[in-house]
Amino acid sequence: MSTKSNWRIPAAITLGLTALWPQLGNAQEKWPTQDISIVVPYPPGGGTDLTTRALAEEMGKALKANVSVLNQPGAAGSIGTLGVWNKPHNGYTIAANGLLAFSSYAVMGLSEKTYKDWNIWIATYSPNVIVTKGGDGAKYKTMPDLLAALKAKPGEITFGTAGVGSGGYMGAEVLKLGTKLAYKHIAYQGGAPAIIGGLSGEVDIVPQLLMELVDHIRAGKMNALAVLMDQPFKLSGAADIPAISASVPDIKPYLPMGESFGIMVPKDTPPNVVQAIDEAFKTAVKSETVKKFAAEKGSVILALTGDEAQAHVAKLSSIVSWTLFDGGTAKISPEKFGFPRLK
Amino acid sequence: MDWQYFLGVLHFIVQPMSLFTMVVSVFFGLIVGMLPGLTATMAVALLTGLTYKLSNEVAILSLVAVYIGAISGGCQSAILMNIPGTPASAATAVDGFPIGQRGEGGLGIFIATMSSCVGTLTGTLCVLLLTPPLAVLALKFGSYEFFLLALFGVMICGQLTAGTDPLKGWISGILGLIVSQIGMDGMNAYPRFSFGVLDLMSGIPLIPVMIGLFGFPEILYGLVSSTARAQVKTTSLEMKKGFGIIIRNKLNLIRSSLIGVMIGIIPGVGEDVAGWLSYWAEKKSSKTPEMFGKGAYEGVVAAETGNNAFAVPGSAPAAVLLAALWLHGLRPGPLLMSESPGFVVDISVYMAISAITMVFLALIVSKATVRILSVKSTILMPIVYVLCTVGAYVISNSIFDIYLVFIFGLVGLLLREMSYPAAPFLLGIILGPMADNSLRRALILSSGDPSPFFTRPISLIFASAIILMALTQLNAFGWLRKLLVHSELKE
Repeated sequence: MSTKSNWRIPAAITLGLTALWPQLGNAQEKWPTQDISIVVPYPPGGGTDLTTRALAEEMGKALKANVSVLNQPGAAGSIGTLGVWNKPHNGYTIAANGLLAFSSYAVMGLSEKTYKDWNIWIATYSPNVIVTKGGDGAKYKTMPDLLAALKAKPGEITFGTAGVGSGGYMGAEVLKLGTKLAYKHIAYQGGAPAIIGGLSGEVDIVPQLLMELVDHIRAGKMNALAVLMDQPFKLSGAADIPAISASVPDIKPYLPMGESFGIMVPKDTPPNVVQAIDEAFKTAVKSETVKKFAAEKGSVILALTGDEAQAHVAKLSSIVSWTLFDGGTAKISPEKFGFPRLK
Repeated sequence: MDWQYFLGVLHFIVQPMSLFTMVVSVFFGLIVGMLPGLTATMAVALLTGLTYKLSNEVAILSLVAVYIGAISGGCQSAILMNIPGTPASAATAVDGFPIGQRGEGGLGIFIATMSSCVGTLTGTLCVLLLTPPLAVLALKFGSYEFFLLALFGVMICGQLTAGTDPLKGWISGILGLIVSQIGMDGMNAYPRFSFGVLDLMSGIPLIPVMIGLFGFPEILYGLVSSTARAQVKTTSLEMKKGFGIIIRNKLNLIRSSLIGVMIGIIPGVGEDVAGWLSYWAEKKSSKTPEMFGKGAYEGVVAAETGNNAFAVPGSAPAAVLLAALWLHGLRPGPLLMSESPGFVVDISVYMAISAITMVFLALIVSKATVRILSVKSTILMPIVYVLCTVGAYVISNSIFDIYLVFIFGLVGLLLREMSYPAAPFLLGIILGPMADNSLRRALILSSGDPSPFFTRPISLIFASAIILMALTQLNAFGWLRKLLVHSELKE
């Protein structure tokens, strides 16, 4: 035990000094004066990771600083996010996340901090897309085909997703809310296995993000029946994908559904720092790198900041929290955090 | 095949900058692979960030080279210290360590390295020639097959490592499967056995368990019996003898490579399974199966060839490699062949040349590493101890992982004291989530009907193999014969 307290004291002093450092120096004048890291709370290669890396490079150019991306996966991304909160609130550690995933933390008991505690910038958005196996063996050619099948065999059409709480699952649940038709949920360990399940015909439908499915749609291996948006999606290198609202009008209040990717710093970060990040973010989302990335990956650039971003995540929090709570997955009521139910 | 792609990639690779990058990357991979805890997954992930600003060709070359180096590097610590450098080399340790203890560490490393190289080369060739038909076969693998394959993997591993009593191996494997159930379940995200502890909710991570199970007992035994280890004399590489062994194992090399390629094509199954399966196949067809586990060269050849012939994405490090390719603007997937037809050729050539470079580098490095055997364990073991602890910590910078090393270190010690093998425990943890999720997914798909496990063609093969194995080992046929003889006598 004595060794434990021995290292704790110097550690506490060091930590204390680190936390105080910006206040001691003239932090109000110039930011950044050191390297910045953006924490991606997932392993490399996912949507958040890829978006953040494209964004980080451009923000680094705008801020004239080194912006590096760190992957800190664990507990659905909540461990990395909590890690950023526990670092000094000085803008040198920025959190990145998919905001749909982030919105589930409160009701899932993973974090007490909600969107109200963070400054949020939203870069891109990729909608859920309802796809089925393409080619000659295609079971469904259009969305009305699928709706008819869902009606004829309630609870028997299989939907393969990356698991409860994932973007694909939320897409399927929102479709259920709009159509009032039950489906059979099949959870896979991630988006890629779910897509393979769809390609091999093990599941009928894969409702994952367009970002993940874009090349399979372009190659004709999968049929895109609809995007969960209120307007058709123009995808480069493939036919336009019809809007879900055309065949399921009741789904409108929940649209657009999909994952949006962005960065966040705690609300009490000094205003000059927030200002600097804001300017760098706005430059970055206008860059060719990010534009090209979005077009290739079946995403739209949203570029939401400030109140707009807060409103976007507020709506997401309501949809996600209530869906998880009503489905029995989340045990904490969204009311505890003041998330209203969408009408 | 288009020869212009070959000429193009060869022209690129002979440039000084490319050669330099490749040699440095293979070397880095070897070192990382050798250190327990620092795995191939990590080597690639570490480099992914660093290569973001390099040109595409150079970056991909260096990622491929690191991957090849790291997967092969794991054999050295397995042979010399019985601590696998990466989970994939656990099968190598079974025979590799006895070889090292016999004083043939250099020879063991030579054989393992040559087998890795042959495995990579055959694997690459298969990918070039057979990818489209194999990909069709891979889609035949559904949830039913995944479950049975996981079960089969744990069972053969238990049987192979248990020595005299396969039941002990299976018990160890089942314990591993049970431990792997800790954390959020894969179907409903419900936390199981986590007691509200956040660290437990994300599940038991593999690397700290591996370090605990294998490293911790070695360290303790090394310190207790400090003389035993210091006695081992180092030997030269004995290249001539090594080549002789490799040539004698022609069939073994071909069979193990094919097993590696087959397993590699199935998404989500790792190199470790490939290593164990080819080891099992070799033992089954050997004339002297009793030598396996006591330092049979064939065992090392099979395990290393199998886990390196795995040139197709499916494992965790290969998945990180794919992610890295994404970052560099390539799109692995259905469009790859039509969008960048030269790419598969490029990667194959990178792999082949890295594998050959790896042999030379590994042999040079092993000149130094075999001396580990003659270092006094009172000096060596504290160093290994620090490396193990750091290795466990750096994966996710979590102190909790260091506690896990100690907890599973004690588990490893107990298992060893009671002569239960640790390898099935490790494989149980690796394959547990796959077994659990596939089984439940399969039963949801079939609405609770278990018959597809026995009616789908690939499932049927696995299911009969598993049942046969269990029955023979439990001597069910012996009982049956006795029963029959008995009843005949009565009549």
